[in-house]
Amino acid sequence: MPQPCNVVIFGASGDLTYRKLIPALYNLAADGDLPAALSVVGFARREKSDESFRKELQEAVGKFSRQGLNDELWKSFGERIFYHQSEFGDLEGYKRLAERLNQLDADHNTGGNRLFYLSVAPSEFGGILEKLAAVGLNKAREGAWSRVIVEKPFGTDLPSAQKLNGIVNTVFREKETYRIDHFLGKETAQNIMVLRFANSIFEPLWNHRYIDHIQITAAEPLGVEARGPYYESSGALRDMVQNHLLQLLCLVAMEPPTDLTADSVRDEKVKVVRALRPMSTEDVASNVVRGQYAAGAINGKEVIGYRAEERVSTESMTETYVALKLHVDNWRWADVPFYVRVGKRLPKGGTEIAIQFKNAPGVLFNKDAAAVGPNVLVIRIQPDEGISLRIQAKRPGAAVRVEPVKMDFHYGTSFGKASPEAYERLLLDAMSGDATLFARRDEVEGAWKFIDLIEEAWHQNPTPPALCEYPAGSWGPAEADALLERDGRAWRRM
Amino acid sequence: MPVTIDPTALGMPVELGQISRELKKLWEQDGGVSTRASLINLAVYCEGVESMRANTELIMEFTHEHACRAILIGYEPGSENQIHAWINAHCHLSRAGAKQVCCEQISFLFEGDTKKRIANILFSNLDSDLPLYLLWRGEFHDPVDEQLWAWVDRLIFDSQSWRDPKSQFALLKDSLVRSKSRLTLCDLNWTRSLHLRQALAQMFDHAENLSVLDNLKTVAIAHAPNFRSTALLLVGWFAAQLKLVFVKNEGSAFVYLNPHGNEVLFSLTAEEGRSISRCELTSDTGSIRLQRDGAGDFFRVEVRLTDNRVYNHLLPAGINATATLILEEIGGGGQHKVYLNALAASEVLL
Ligand SMILES: NC(=O)c1ccc[n+]([C@@H]2O[C@H](COP(=O)([O-])OP(=O)(O)OC[C@H]3O[C@@H](n4cnc5c(N)ncnc54)[C@H](OP(=O)(O)O)[C@@H]3O)[C@@H](O)[C@H]2O)c1
Repeated sequence: MPQPCNVVIFGASGDLTYRKLIPALYNLAADGDLPAALSVVGFARREKSDESFRKELQEAVGKFSRQGLNDELWKSFGERIFYHQSEFGDLEGYKRLAERLNQLDADHNTGGNRLFYLSVAPSEFGGILEKLAAVGLNKAREGAWSRVIVEKPFGTDLPSAQKLNGIVNTVFREKETYRIDHFLGKETAQNIMVLRFANSIFEPLWNHRYIDHIQITAAEPLGVEARGPYYESSGALRDMVQNHLLQLLCLVAMEPPTDLTADSVRDEKVKVVRALRPMSTEDVASNVVRGQYAAGAINGKEVIGYRAEERVSTESMTETYVALKLHVDNWRWADVPFYVRVGKRLPKGGTEIAIQFKNAPGVLFNKDAAAVGPNVLVIRIQPDEGISLRIQAKRPGAAVRVEPVKMDFHYGTSFGKASPEAYERLLLDAMSGDATLFARRDEVEGAWKFIDLIEEAWHQNPTPPALCEYPAGSWGPAEADALLERDGRAWRRM
Repeated sequence: MPVTIDPTALGMPVELGQISRELKKLWEQDGGVSTRASLINLAVYCEGVESMRANTELIMEFTHEHACRAILIGYEPGSENQIHAWINAHCHLSRAGAKQVCCEQISFLFEGDTKKRIANILFSNLDSDLPLYLLWRGEFHDPVDEQLWAWVDRLIFDSQSWRDPKSQFALLKDSLVRSKSRLTLCDLNWTRSLHLRQALAQMFDHAENLSVLDNLKTVAIAHAPNFRSTALLLVGWFAAQLKLVFVKNEGSAFVYLNPHGNEVLFSLTAEEGRSISRCELTSDTGSIRLQRDGAGDFFRVEVRLTDNRVYNHLLPAGINATATLILEEIGGGGQHKVYLNALAASEVLL
């Protein structure tokens, strides 16, 4: 159970607060995981009373909480939520915030512990942190703590991430800084380490001797929706690969840490980032495919192409799909490609990691190379979190006919309990001071260093590789299929 | 059964975007009484609502033997542009014990100009990592969806039902090349003659009968009026296996040359009765006659050798109902290389 504290959310009237943060805190309260002495202060610009703020949040919880809304619980939870109206740039507002937090400490016995959640655009980080420092809110009093959670995107390239880190680290120490990557909060992402290191059957096979290749897919049927301007400045590579997918790759590829402390785990992850083979302009041309969705159909409904979306340039060169072939240059993964793809407007939604093992020797049942497929271990991050293993089995009958069968484990049905939302786990960890599931500065910067090479090859190159079109509702551009076909492989069917 | 729905009907209507959620609910309501089983994705394409019902019955029968996720795709041209969806489950008591084993069926009706949506909808509803078998009921239309073809592992169709097999095969071949598909062609018209081919082949397990093949002069095949294509595939089979070279048509007969340069004559006659009711091979050294009587379940085989020795055999002829053919086809597996050779050899005859 974390210590009593005040959670201050900057950007409290924003979408993330309504859809994720408050429902997560509410679910934690419903599960009895929150300290009794906890208050939440929402910081935003528009005029609002505590009462009206609570009313809106109550509705949001009713809509977005996985446990629904319990009136009795809301009564006690809602009473601990407050609204603080101020401009981010107004120092007076922070002074009042400091006073208010002191008062809340006194009223609710929250012990001077503070968790600042920056649910705002990165351009606001600097200003907010500076003002927090100016009124001394970054420094906790003796025996208490003060921490900051920052939302993605954490920079748009290496220099901007370094700059942001510089700003954050002048105000908060690294161990007080929690960079959110909500993929790491998902149950199955956490389970990757358990699967690998708590079972003796997988780890001996987890290397280039037995694994043919690894595929990581993050697919979604949604288009860019209302996020046109943001997406235009980011694209799929920066929005998804730099953070979420590289984090998953690290968990799959890392060496066993010496212990489970945050830094031991993150030390191992950062080694993977450093081992990613950097890409030259030529490598990018041959190992990365970028695509953009054209008009098509999703679930039978016609949808427009990316360039026709609201507030998107009609000549946009922003990628909504990217497929990459990566290499982790270390002993364990020698010659094992990691194929990573992410895309919008794909037929199905889901984030999955597939470990594809080498084929059984070409004798006996496997004489005809195409006859028996490989074993595949699939880790489903979302939705329907779980693990499945494809093995070969004999079909009942007189003839020897080998068929693939799937052994499936679903979190939902096996444990009879819905997995907590990622934000629940992450908020709880930050309150408890456990940074294992948060990205460390060197991880973030290492990932940007790798991604920047690709961005440069795309945007600062007189002859950039083509941006390939794919119809909405298809599994991406044909060039992405060719990327694997060239190696005698194919994307798995999700 | 997880819900009280008629398994021969399409089941519960659902919204297109909600299918996986509704299926999940279906199993949650069931409370663990049934086990959901699936080894393949079986997509069935058919035209017309009535045909969807008939194919649902077919799927139900199929699921007794093969656990699958069935995806029924109905197409109804000419009406408003709409797509409807239903979910259903086919359950039966497992042979092993008290558990019910259930297979999901998702059905779609594509109306009007929505056919181009089929690939997307199929892709979004597949059971991941399992093979995709597509049972195509009826004719192929130009253009065939290449994206779809690239995903299919086994394409099951019945060339007997085609009005113009020549153009259908040409269309199929062309689309397979374009989509770079490596799917296995499974022609039920070929499966239809499986037992006959097996019975014939069995005759040559006796070395002394092989002389009939070596000196083959004529092959006479009697087929039901609508089953000429079944007989042609059979001719293709003989030609490919015996390395015969087509020379010419002679009236309704076909003339081939064997590797020794001798002529072999194939004659086809249409007769009421079973798809293939008779097949007779004659040579200077004897004859083999395989006959199936009207209602019989067996082939009577008579082998006559020149020294007046006569042998009679009774061999199973199989059941030619569509459901049985499909079961047989899927149960058999393989790459169907013999079929492809037979098909190539029969192309000149189509
Ligand atoms: N939404 C998501 O699902 C999601 C997912 C992952 C990461 N994120 C990240 O989370 C952060 C927040 O996202 P969001 O979608 O919640 O943003 P949003 O809906 O645009 O909300 C922005 C919030 O910031 C406040 N704000 C903006 N300028 C202000 C100012 N000058 N002074 C005071 N308050 C100001 C707004 O207050 P007023 O309403 O009072 O103006 C509002 O509460 C972003 O960094 C985003 O990239 C969001």
